[in-house]
Amino acid sequence: MPAVKGDGMRGLAVFISDIRNCKSKEAELKRINKELANIRSKFKGDKTLDGYQKKKYVCKLLFIFLLGNDIDFGHMEAVNLLSSNKYTEKQIGYLFISVLIEANSDLMKLIVQAIRNDLMSRNPVHVNLALQCISNIGSRDMAEAFANDLPKLLVSGDTIDFVKQSAALCLLKLFRNSPDVMPSPDHASRIVHLLNDSHMGVVTSAASLIEALSKRWPDDYKGCVSLAISRLSRIVTATYTDLQDYTYYFVPAPWLCVKLLRLLQNYPPPEDPSNKARLLECLEGILNKAQDAPKSKKVQHSNAKNAVLFEAIALIIHMDSEPNLLVRACNQLGAFLSHRETNLRYLALESMCLLATSEFSHEAVKKHQETIINSLKTERDVSVRQRAVDLLYAMCDRTNASEIVAEMLTYLETADYSIREEMVLKVAILAEKYANDYTWYVDVILKLIRIAGDYVSEEVWYRVIQIVVNREDVQGYAAKTVFEALQRPACHENMVKVGGYILGEFGNLIAGDQRSAPQVQFELLHSKYHLCSIGTRCLLLTTYVKFCNLFPEIKHIIQEVFRTDHNLKNPDAELQQRAVEYLSMSKVATPDVLATILEEMPPFAEKESSLLAKLKKHKPQVEELESVAQEKKSRPQAVMAQDGGAVGSLVDLDHSAHSEAAALVDIFGSPSTTTTSTNNTATQPTGEPVVANKDDYSKFVSKLNGVLYEDETVQVGCKLETRNNLARLGMFYGNKTQTPFTDFKPVVVCPGALSVQLQAQAKPMDAVVAAGTQVQQLINFVCVQEFNRTPIIQVSFNYTPTSGQSTHFDKFLYLPIFINKFFEPTEMTSETFFARWKALGIPSQESQRIFIAKHPIDSTQVNAKLTGIGAKLLSDVDPNPENFVCAGIIHTQTQQIGTLIRLEPNKQAKKYRLTVRSSKDAVSKYLCDLLADLF
Amino acid sequence: MIKAILVFNNHGKPRLLKFYQHYSEEQQQQIVRETFQLVSKRDDNVCNFLEGGTLIGGNDYRLIYRHYATLYFIFCVDSSESELGILDLIQVFVETLDRCFENVCELDLIFHVDKVHHILGELVMGGMVLETNMSEILLRIQEQEKLEKQEAGISAAPARAVSAVKSMNLPQQIKDLKLPDLPGLSNLKNAF
Repeated sequence: MPAVKGDGMRGLAVFISDIRNCKSKEAELKRINKELANIRSKFKGDKTLDGYQKKKYVCKLLFIFLLGNDIDFGHMEAVNLLSSNKYTEKQIGYLFISVLIEANSDLMKLIVQAIRNDLMSRNPVHVNLALQCISNIGSRDMAEAFANDLPKLLVSGDTIDFVKQSAALCLLKLFRNSPDVMPSPDHASRIVHLLNDSHMGVVTSAASLIEALSKRWPDDYKGCVSLAISRLSRIVTATYTDLQDYTYYFVPAPWLCVKLLRLLQNYPPPEDPSNKARLLECLEGILNKAQDAPKSKKVQHSNAKNAVLFEAIALIIHMDSEPNLLVRACNQLGAFLSHRETNLRYLALESMCLLATSEFSHEAVKKHQETIINSLKTERDVSVRQRAVDLLYAMCDRTNASEIVAEMLTYLETADYSIREEMVLKVAILAEKYANDYTWYVDVILKLIRIAGDYVSEEVWYRVIQIVVNREDVQGYAAKTVFEALQRPACHENMVKVGGYILGEFGNLIAGDQRSAPQVQFELLHSKYHLCSIGTRCLLLTTYVKFCNLFPEIKHIIQEVFRTDHNLKNPDAELQQRAVEYLSMSKVATPDVLATILEEMPPFAEKESSLLAKLKKHKPQVEELESVAQEKKSRPQAVMAQDGGAVGSLVDLDHSAHSEAAALVDIFGSPSTTTTSTNNTATQPTGEPVVANKDDYSKFVSKLNGVLYEDETVQVGCKLETRNNLARLGMFYGNKTQTPFTDFKPVVVCPGALSVQLQAQAKPMDAVVAAGTQVQQLINFVCVQEFNRTPIIQVSFNYTPTSGQSTHFDKFLYLPIFINKFFEPTEMTSETFFARWKALGIPSQESQRIFIAKHPIDSTQVNAKLTGIGAKLLSDVDPNPENFVCAGIIHTQTQQIGTLIRLEPNKQAKKYRLTVRSSKDAVSKYLCDLLADLF
Repeated sequence: MIKAILVFNNHGKPRLLKFYQHYSEEQQQQIVRETFQLVSKRDDNVCNFLEGGTLIGGNDYRLIYRHYATLYFIFCVDSSESELGILDLIQVFVETLDRCFENVCELDLIFHVDKVHHILGELVMGGMVLETNMSEILLRIQEQEKLEKQEAGISAAPARAVSAVKSMNLPQQIKDLKLPDLPGLSNLKNAF
C-alpha cells in the first residue's frame, strides 16, 4: 500500500470521477453547480456535520476551485476546522485558507487567533501548520501579529529542529512582505549562529533568512561572513559521504552552498586574511571540482554541481578582485558555451555578460567571441539566442565593434520578431559608441533601416540625423549613401525620412555629380512621395522647400508640386498648410530671405543618447550593465563629442534640452512625436498645480531657513529643524499690507504617493492676520519611507490692496522638505568609506550625473553646500584632494538608508561628476537629481 | 523567492496551483492559460528557463519548468533563486511524489489534491525552499500519515463504518471508472 494513498474520501472520489466523465463543458458545469448547491445546503442546514464531513466538503471545494470556479462560501467552515484538535481536520482547514482566503478577508482576525493558539501548542506538528499558514498568507496583519513571537521561537533552545527551520522561513517571508514591521535586529547574533547549527535543514533556512536580513542591517549581521565561509569550506572539502542525507546525487548539500554563496555576495570580500584565504580556497575547490570527471551520468548530478559552480562564479564576479579566478571562471563558462545541455549554455551566456564588465576578465571573454557568434547563428532556442545577443552587446568594445555589429546585422535579418526592436536599438547604440569613423556609423544605421525598417524606432533615425547634422566630415558621405539607398527599388519609409532630411540639408554636397544632380535628387525623392504616410510627406515638403533654396534652378518644378491639388487642398491640415506656406514663401521671398529662413540646421545639443534611455526602459538589466561598465572601465558614453571630432562646438549645453527633439519635431510637423522628448522634460508631474516658487525652491536643498516666497502682499519664511525621521517646519507669514488678511488658510498637500511616504501635520491657524504683523505656524513631518516629490502648501486668503478692491490670494508653494533633510551625518575613515562604497556596488544603487558647473568651482562654497545638505563631509578620505565625499544615513520610519556621495570637480572643463550610492535605488537617483542642481 | 507553482497537463488542465501571493480566481486561470501557451509550444530539448509571462512578476521573474510525461511542472521564481537549484527542486518534488504514491501518475494528483498540497508544503513554504532532503521530507509525511491513521482509528470509526457499508465495493468502482489513458510518471528517471 502506498504511503499516502491511504483511505480516500469516497464522496470526493465519486465526485471527481463524475466530473471527469462529463462529456462536455456544460455537463461539467452542471455537475459542479449541483455539488455546490449540495455543499451549501449541508453547511447551512446540517449543524451536526462532523469533522470528517466538513473535511470532505472542503476538499470538494478545493477541487472545484482548481477547475476554475470561484468559491464564495465555506470560508467560515474552514476557519472552524482550524480549532479542531484533530490534526487532519486542522490541516485541511489550513490548506483551504492558504489557497482561498484573501489577505484582507474579514475572517483574518479569527484566523490569526487560531494561529496564535496553534503556535502556543505543545505539539510541534501543530506549530508547524501554523507557521506554514503564516508564511503562505504573509500579510501585514500576520506580520504585525507575529513579528515579535517568531524570532523568539527561532532562537529558543527548546524549539525542535524542523520547527526552527519553518520559523526561519516564516520570519523571512514576513520580513520580505512588510520589512517595516520587523523589530530591530535584537536577535542578530543568535540568528547568525544558526549557521553553526548541526541540522543542515536549519542552516539552509537560516542562510536564506540571514541573506535577506543582512541586506537591511549589514553591520548587525556582519558576523555571518566568517561563519558562512567556514560552513562553506566544511561542505566543499567534505567528501560526499560525510553529509549523507543532504548529499544530492553525489553533490554535498548543493542548496546550502548556493545560499551561502549568495549570502557572501551581500558583503565586500572579507578583509581578514585568514577568512579571505579560506574563501578563495573554497572557490578554487569548486572550480576544481567542475573539472573532475562526473561521479554520475545523471543530469541531476551535473545540475546540482553546476548550480554551485554558477553561484561561485557569481561571487567571484561580485568580489571582482581576483584576476586569476575571474579568468578561470571565464574559461569554465567558455567550455559550457559548447556544452550539449541547453540550460548550461543559457546560464553560461548569462554569467559571461557579467564577466564582460569586469576589467580583469573582459579580455578573456573576448576569446570566446567566435563561439558566441556561432551560438547566435545555430542555437535553436530563442531564449538562448537572446542571451547571446545580450552578451555580444556587453562584450563589445572598440576593437571588436565592427565585427560584432556586422554579425548582429546579419542575425537581424532572420531574428525572431520578439527581439528585433531591442536588437535594432543595441546595434544603433554600439555603432554610435564605438564608431571610429562616422562613415561606418552611417552605413550601419542605413543598413539597419534597410534590414529591419519596421523595427527602427523614431529615436534611432532621429539620432542618425543628429549625428550627421553635428558632424561636418560625414555629411557629404551621408548624402551620397542615402541617395544610393533611395535608388533601390524597395525602400522603407524610415529610409525616405532619413533620406529626405539629409538631402534637404546636404543635397548640395553631391549635386556636382551628374548622377545626383538636383533634379535627379528631387525626382528620386518625389517618386516615393505618394507611397508615404502624411507625416513623411510633410517632411518631404520641407525637403522640397529647402531644395528651392539649395537649387534655385529646379524651383519651378517644386512650385508645381506644391501647387497640385492633393497638396494644396489636402484634407490633412498640416500638409495643406505646409504646401500653401511653402508655395507662397518660394514665390514671395527674395533669395536672401529664403536663404536665411532655410539655412542649414544648427548643430543639436549634445546629451546622452536617447537610445540608451529607451533601451533602459525596455530592459532594466541593461541599465545595470551599462552603469557597471561606466564605472569600471569608463567606457565612452554614447555621446560622440568625446573623441575630439572635427567640429569644435559640438557640446553646446546652453541649448535647452528640448531643442534636439523639438527641432526634429518641427521638421516632421506632427505634434504627437513630441513624446520622444518626455525623458528630457523636467519632472513636473502632471496634475500638480502651478507652483509659485518652483524656480528657486531647490536652493533649500542645502539650506534650513530662508524666504520661500515674497511679493508686495505677503512674505513667507521658513525654518526647519530635523531629528532622525522627524522634521519640524516653522512657517512665518508676514502681512505686508495695511489691511488684515481674512480667511487665511495654509493647507499642506502631499501629492500622490507622497501622502503615504511623508506624513504632514499642520497646526491650525487663526483665520485673520492683522495688518503689518507676522504669524507663525508649525508643521510636523514624519518621513515614513523614502520619497521623491516635494510637499506643497497652498496659501489662500482675502485682502484689500490699496486700490480698494477685495482680492483673493491663492498660491501653491513647494515646502523645503527633501529626502536629504533626514540625513544623519556619519563619520568614516577612508577605509570604511570605500568598503561601504564597494558594498553598495549593485548598479541600480548608483546614480551618476556629469554636468556643467553653474557656479564657479570654489571649494569653500562647495564645502558649505555639501555640509548644508546634511550628510557628513569627509576630509582626507578621497585619494584625490580635489574631490568631495560625504556619508550619511537617511532616517525613515521603516528603515535607515545608508547613502554615500562623491563629487568630482573638473576645473578645466568646468564640469562635475556626481555619484550617489545608496542602499535604496530610488534614493540615489532622486538625490543625484537634487544635488546636481546645486553646483 | 518562488511566486507560484503550477502543474498542468499536456492539454493545459490545471492539476495543482499554488500561488504565494494572492491572485483572484480569474487571474489564476489566466496565468495558467498564458503559461501553458508559453511552455507547450517549446520543444523538449530546449532550455528549461523562460522569460516572459506578463501576468506574474515582470522582468525579474523567470519560469523554470520541467515536462514529465503528461505533466508540466512550472515554478515561477525571481532572480534570488538559482535556476539550476530550482530545476533540481522540481526533480525532488516529483521524486517525492513518486515515492509517496508509488509510481505517481496524473490521476494521483487529481484524486489526492490535498495530499499533494501537504507534500508540497514540506518542500516549499510561503514561496521559500524549506527542505530539500528527500528522506527528511518522507519522514515528515510518514508522521502525518501516522497521525491521520490514529485519528481515523479513534473517532472516525462511526462515520467510516457507515461509509464502508454504503460502498462495499469501492475499490472496484474506482477501477471501473473510464479514464483517459495516462502514461505513468514513473519513467521520469530516464526522461532526459
